[in-house]
Amino acid sequence: MADAITTPTTRSASARAVRMPRALRGWVLPVALIVLWWAAVRFGWSTSPLLVPVSKVWATAVQQVRSGALFVALSASLWRDLAGFALGASVGLVFGTALGLSRLFEQLFGPTFHTIKQISLFAWIPLISVWFGLGDTAKVVFLSLAAFFPVVLNTFEGIRGVPADLLEVARVLKYSRWQVLLRVVLPSASPSIFAGIHLALIYAWLATLGAEYMLVSGKGIGNTMTDGRENFWMDLVIFGVIVVGLVGFTLNWIASRIESRLLAWRGRSVAAF
Amino acid sequence: MAANDSLALPRPASAGAAPEHGGKAQRHWRPGLHHAAWLLAWPVPLALLLAWYVAARFAWIPPQVLPAPDAVWHTLAELYQSGELQANLAVSALRVAGGFALGLAGGLALGVAMGLSPGFRDYVYPTFKAFSQVPVLGWLPLLMLLVGIDEALKIILIAKASLVPIALNTYKGIQNVPTRYIEVARVLKFTRWQLLSRVVFPAAAAPVWNGIRYGLTHAWLALVVVELLASSEGLGYMIVYGRQLFQLDMVIAAVIVVGAVGFALDKLLALAERAVLRWRKPGL
Amino acid sequence: MAHAGTLSIEHLRKQYEVKGEPLPVLEDITLSIAPGEFVSIVGASGCGKSTLLRLVVGLEEDYKGEILLDGKRVAGTSLDRGIVFQEHRLFPWLTVEQNIRMALLNANLTESEKRRTVREHIGLVGLAGFETAFPHQLSGGMSQRVAIARALVTRPEILLLDEPFGALDALTRAYLQQELHRIWQAEGITMILVTHDVEEAIYLGDRVVVMEPRPGRIRRILPVPLAHPRDRAALSFARVKDDVLQEFTGRPADLAEAPIRRLPDPDAGGGLPPHIRFAI
Repeated sequence: MADAITTPTTRSASARAVRMPRALRGWVLPVALIVLWWAAVRFGWSTSPLLVPVSKVWATAVQQVRSGALFVALSASLWRDLAGFALGASVGLVFGTALGLSRLFEQLFGPTFHTIKQISLFAWIPLISVWFGLGDTAKVVFLSLAAFFPVVLNTFEGIRGVPADLLEVARVLKYSRWQVLLRVVLPSASPSIFAGIHLALIYAWLATLGAEYMLVSGKGIGNTMTDGRENFWMDLVIFGVIVVGLVGFTLNWIASRIESRLLAWRGRSVAAF
Repeated sequence: MAANDSLALPRPASAGAAPEHGGKAQRHWRPGLHHAAWLLAWPVPLALLLAWYVAARFAWIPPQVLPAPDAVWHTLAELYQSGELQANLAVSALRVAGGFALGLAGGLALGVAMGLSPGFRDYVYPTFKAFSQVPVLGWLPLLMLLVGIDEALKIILIAKASLVPIALNTYKGIQNVPTRYIEVARVLKFTRWQLLSRVVFPAAAAPVWNGIRYGLTHAWLALVVVELLASSEGLGYMIVYGRQLFQLDMVIAAVIVVGAVGFALDKLLALAERAVLRWRKPGL
Repeated sequence: MAHAGTLSIEHLRKQYEVKGEPLPVLEDITLSIAPGEFVSIVGASGCGKSTLLRLVVGLEEDYKGEILLDGKRVAGTSLDRGIVFQEHRLFPWLTVEQNIRMALLNANLTESEKRRTVREHIGLVGLAGFETAFPHQLSGGMSQRVAIARALVTRPEILLLDEPFGALDALTRAYLQQELHRIWQAEGITMILVTHDVEEAIYLGDRVVVMEPRPGRIRRILPVPLAHPRDRAALSFARVKDDVLQEFTGRPADLAEAPIRRLPDPDAGGGLPPHIRFAI
């Protein structure tokens, strides 16, 4: 569609740009940045110890992988991430379903929930650190919180959004209350519920990092980066950034695949954000 | 009626009950339940408050772990009277405002550029996408090394936090403007500028607005984190300070203020949304 | 063949409460429907015809008067009474076959019996080969056929259809009317069709019930003494249609010219009301 807007002028632009094939265009910027980086090191544009050569980052990466340090840190981060996510998401599902199904429940607990939700997630950490210490328990609690809110909200909306039309069909077919819930309400709400779970995954990963920065005992990729920062090891930090990005990407990708599989019945592509 | 009613999900009470064309069933408007809704909101928070008060009063939990509600209240009042609260609040607010403004401008510019120019998109989008895979917090140690821990760090982090969702949503919003509107504009011989200002931007307004909402939420999130980690003033700092001195009343007071700000931001956004998107059918 | 039900509606009244004021929707509806009969109900919007249907199927309750199916009072929904809505209301997450099966969730049939009857009904509505398609892959007409199959698979005694083809284009509508007629003849159950399309009402119905609005009342019941299959282009058809339409336009057209001399109608079986205009 964007092409429709730009049709009048692309003729001349494409004449110029035609030398760079479309598939390669995406690489220009990253390659240029890396070249710039390499040049900065090679020609000594800066004397700061932070300007580490590209090769050093690579060497550090290799070392981290070989020594198993990456494995230790990443697995620690991931298991906490998934544990917290699973806990928060499942509690969130139950709570969100209750909110959606029962008007009374919503009236009793809804306002309190929405108020507590206003508190920015990370503001909870200091309190959690007092109540649960600085170790894994505290982190998992915090991560559950991070996953809890988006799941509740999306589950609630999904359930409330079940079309009355379909509920009438269930009445005509004499479904029991349980059958209505399992066969009509939950399937109909599933796109929204999945969106909530996807969001929860994103937030949980974000929270994992934050938790590791703030609740410093233990191992994790966030701790690795903090290490690097405190020792001015730029290469380690950059390595950490790349790993974090890759994990984020992978989690996202997995979630999208699962979503598109289970929600194939929707027919149209679900917009990704 | 009762047995079948339980199969019905709670619906926003519809005003009229008379079926019109097609005779779709409408729920009767029950005024009693509506007004009671306001009252029902209170039992849970009040019960929690009571439990808190009792627990603190009878020292079931040491005050360093759970201060009494009135202690929190006093601290809040003190902070307000001494002006400390306002000062820290102002610092935080300014940071968010500055960072968000930067992120907003950058995000809109980037999103529009990617949306309108396929060439630009081809070069920039992959890199942008790669960068956005790293959550805001992933950049923190790197940025700390590069720019230290004063204002620049906070502004940059907040800007980055808001820039990504805004740019992404703006780009998608422009991309998804239905071709049929563009065709109408072509038939009516709109100039390029008219096409953009009269068709593309209004049509993309809703997703762009969504992005802005996300951006503000993330900006606020980033602010709190960065103030918790690397700040000597601001709301986040207040929380950490209280924590380190084991003055939990201060911590809780500051957390309450953080929540209040979050709430205010939400309301502000809702108001602005109503103004900006007046033409949309409600509930979309 | 399912057992066809006898429906008896006596002095049915229904009113809603809007802001404290009672709003009468149906007033003194009395209608007797013989087993296996096809009755069409026509009326303008707001005449309560859909409400009538919803009362019969049990989606609306709280009425005065009697609605009796085979002598038993109607209270709530039942698998004896099926309904096809204007929207197909298929579950989007299920395939065609699964959607039809959904109706048998509470039926006392073995697995293989269920499978068999679902297949039969898919064949009945002419959708063999589409068992594994999802609703979003079907056209409007096909979706509606699935809805009909779903309503019939429970072998109800009476099938209610609430403007089932209203959302479809004219060509599909004509085709589906034909199909519905065929299905009715095959199944032999009682059917009540609500529509605002007079032609459809006459094409399908043994009788046409004309309703008027505010409050909803039966204005007139016309028999449709035409043989099946019905020819929409036939004179006799047009005459019945005229007769029905007249109920809506108020009175026979005031003829500006001199009245045309009436000739005896060769098609009529006798007994046509004298005020029918002679259509040329």
